[in-house]
Amino acid sequence: MKNYQRSNEPVAWSLFGAGGMVLALVTPALVIVTALILPFLPNADPGHSYRVILSFAQNWLGKLILLAVISLHFYHTAHRLYHGLHDLHIHGPDKVMKSIFYGGATLLSLLTAYWLFTL
Amino acid sequence: MNRNPYLQKQPANWWVKNPYYRFYMLREGTAIPLFLYSLLLLYGVYALTQGESAFNQWIALLRSPGMIIFQLITFLAAVFHAYTWFELVPKILVLRIGNHRVPDVLIKVSHWGACIFCTVMILVSAIYFL
Repeated sequence: MKNYQRSNEPVAWSLFGAGGMVLALVTPALVIVTALILPFLPNADPGHSYRVILSFAQNWLGKLILLAVISLHFYHTAHRLYHGLHDLHIHGPDKVMKSIFYGGATLLSLLTAYWLFTL
Repeated sequence: MNRNPYLQKQPANWWVKNPYYRFYMLREGTAIPLFLYSLLLLYGVYALTQGESAFNQWIALLRSPGMIIFQLITFLAAVFHAYTWFELVPKILVLRIGNHRVPDVLIKVSHWGACIFCTVMILVSAIYFL
């Protein structure tokens, strides 16, 4: 009997789906925060924003939220860019391409986790 | 005898002429600014680990004209993504109550409601705490 290799597409698609939901629910507001509120909020104490965000990132729940939001951004966009290159007829060996895109998203997520947990 | 399989030739610009395909490519293309924006967020996390002056430099970067334009593009991409995503959800999420399928419109509207709720919560807490 032939041993069928399980596809890893469901894993990629779940991360893509979760990322799509985060991007749709959270990202529009997040961009308003980083583009308008954080840089242009008239604040007497410039260190105040830093301390608030630092204490949020030092809290374990805050860390988890930041890690989930940022890493799901990476997995969602990597999935779309991977399939987008196929649509544009830009091809490479499948294993190499998958390593670059999904491996890249994983590496960037690990980097995010590392920096968050050193705080 | 080996025969070469027939491959239908498709030009790489297959999506340019048809408005439906252009819309599809625009939707997939939202991933480009959104990916770059994720890198900007990652850089912010790194700056946070480097202390207050590094973090203030990151905020100064967010304030620069180039980044304002980039974030405007990212905002439009995120809103366009949200619109196409909520159009997609009822096609994937099929809910039934008894024998009746929950109408697509209800699923879309509830997702838009969640989006508005999250947006208001994030903006209000950002203005209040930052």
